[in-house]
Amino acid sequence: MTTTVEDCGSVDHAIAVPVSDEQLWQISAEFLAHGLVRGEHVIYFDDGTSDRVLERMTDDGVAVAGPLREGRFTIVPSDRHTSPHEVAETVRAAVDAALAAGYPAVRITGRLTFVVRHTGSDSGMADYDRVIEEVVRHRPAHILCIYDRARYPEEVLEAVRAAHRTEVVAPAIYDDGLLRITAVGPGTARVAGEVDHSNRPRIRSFLEAALDRALRLPDAPTDITLDLSSLRFLDVAGAVGLVHAAEEFPNAHRLVLTGVRPRIQRVLDRCGAPFATQLVVHARSDQPPAEQPSTDHPSTDHPSIDESPADESSAHQPERPAHEQARA
Amino acid sequence: MRIETTRSANALRMEHAAGFHGSATDLLDQLVPLAEQALDRAEPLATALQPDTERALDDRLGGELTSEERFVRLRPPDGGPAGASAQTLAARWALELRALSVAKGRPVTVLNEHTAAFDGADGRFWTELDAALNVALADLPVRITCFYPELPLHLEILDGARRNHPLLLSDGELRHNPGHHDPRAVIAARPAAQPPVLGPPDVRLSFSAWQLHEVRTTVEHALSGHGYERERLEDIVLAVNELATNAVEHGAPEAQLSLWTGGHGLLCEIDDGGTLRDPLPGLQAPHPAEPRGRGVWIARQLCDSLHVWTDGRGTHVRVHANP
Repeated sequence: MTTTVEDCGSVDHAIAVPVSDEQLWQISAEFLAHGLVRGEHVIYFDDGTSDRVLERMTDDGVAVAGPLREGRFTIVPSDRHTSPHEVAETVRAAVDAALAAGYPAVRITGRLTFVVRHTGSDSGMADYDRVIEEVVRHRPAHILCIYDRARYPEEVLEAVRAAHRTEVVAPAIYDDGLLRITAVGPGTARVAGEVDHSNRPRIRSFLEAALDRALRLPDAPTDITLDLSSLRFLDVAGAVGLVHAAEEFPNAHRLVLTGVRPRIQRVLDRCGAPFATQLVVHARSDQPPAEQPSTDHPSTDHPSIDESPADESSAHQPERPAHEQARA
Repeated sequence: MRIETTRSANALRMEHAAGFHGSATDLLDQLVPLAEQALDRAEPLATALQPDTERALDDRLGGELTSEERFVRLRPPDGGPAGASAQTLAARWALELRALSVAKGRPVTVLNEHTAAFDGADGRFWTELDAALNVALADLPVRITCFYPELPLHLEILDGARRNHPLLLSDGELRHNPGHHDPRAVIAARPAAQPPVLGPPDVRLSFSAWQLHEVRTTVEHALSGHGYERERLEDIVLAVNELATNAVEHGAPEAQLSLWTGGHGLLCEIDDGGTLRDPLPGLQAPHPAEPRGRGVWIARQLCDSLHVWTDGRGTHVRVHANP
């Protein structure tokens, strides 16, 4: 079965096969965020991607500094393990320790590259997955194994897919490895990565389609919104394109850009964005996201064994706009 | 750094005149009335004169020139690690003069004097400067008079002055110059100078339209740890990205990026096999409705020097960007 990353809060042992780095960061960040919201112990097995995953969590409005400081969120370097067995035992130890410490549950993800590097065979991987399966059985543990397409041959992917009951998917409107556009809601999309000469027309296509839908449906929102929190580069023609698109909107409609980073804001400003009346730019605050009130941290004296997932609503993304300020 | 995005709407547009002199005294005799007129009209006065000339002019005006708060000394030409670039100078003067005319709300009188130090091998620096000024200052309220010796070392200097200036100053009066040509035609006939050859680059990269990401990463890595503030680094990456985009968009399918790093700031060159539609790109703010041409305009303002030239092998851009 498959589940979307928005609903993956309660999976026990799942696999994700991202097609791009941007998707890898998205899935990892959202999976980990589910755990932080629920007060779980959250662990990321890092193979050098943790900076980007933490950046993505910050983009998503998830406070990471506090949980990292308090030890609720741990980043474990993953390159020091030598065998699948050793990794599986590390996972087992982590789950045991977190549950013993009184956390309601433990949540682990990461890219497990060493597995293939050290075995080179399917059997080693299957072995590994069997141990993980045993670790999570009947226990409040959520483990998401990430195998990205760029690193594993197709037959390995088929084998590891078969070993997992659940696959977490994160569909995109467009993903070329540099730019990733995902639908967020009616007339709203998230644009992550970099926009340049090679993929600029994709933004335009999305805006045209979104505007068409907004005009066709009577109760569609009149704002077309692009969440640019994870947009790291926008070239001049891309910025000019956004300004022109907004100016060509029918009078009642606006193009709203949210979470705009300073770098993107400067390009937009140089391309006439301040003079476009139908373009609204919400700058992203330079402040890190407000610390979430830590979900009642379990005391070690009275370990909680309640593994029932928290109320579904709390598993969704925390509201973002709290830390955004509209630009004057 | 100031970024201008709108054109000015002044009634007076550039008046660009050439004056020729046989001696230092002759030069002063022509400069004094122009300066006096500007002071009488209470208009700002900007100069790019040799130090001796400026001192003598100030003496003749009884010290009124340099004590005047409406007097501005324009940034003189300079070599710099990238080599002298007349188009860069024209772009900088355009920014300074626009700011001055907006601040004072009056047209600006500019007195410009030839300096042999920038003649280079054949004097074409001056041809490029006047052509670039015609483009960069086109819609600014500026009266600019450029003074050249009657007998310069290079004949090109006189030829260029006669082709570039719509007006000639003679016997204190401005006359229409029938030999005047469009600046782009002038540059097509006498291309911008090739800057001094640099040594082998520290970094070299061939790229296509699908590898602009690699161009940005390469520049970012080259700048990291060299004292560039985050914002400055991002702006330089943007500038190089725009030039690289132009190279593969309008030029050849593949272009070359070369970087020289070190104590002199970043030197960057982008070479492609294509030809330029506009031999003097990015000197004028594009109209807001115009989708193209903004990249080079923005890059010019973000870099300390940006020089575009063409030769038999294609189009080249050299950029210098300090931290």
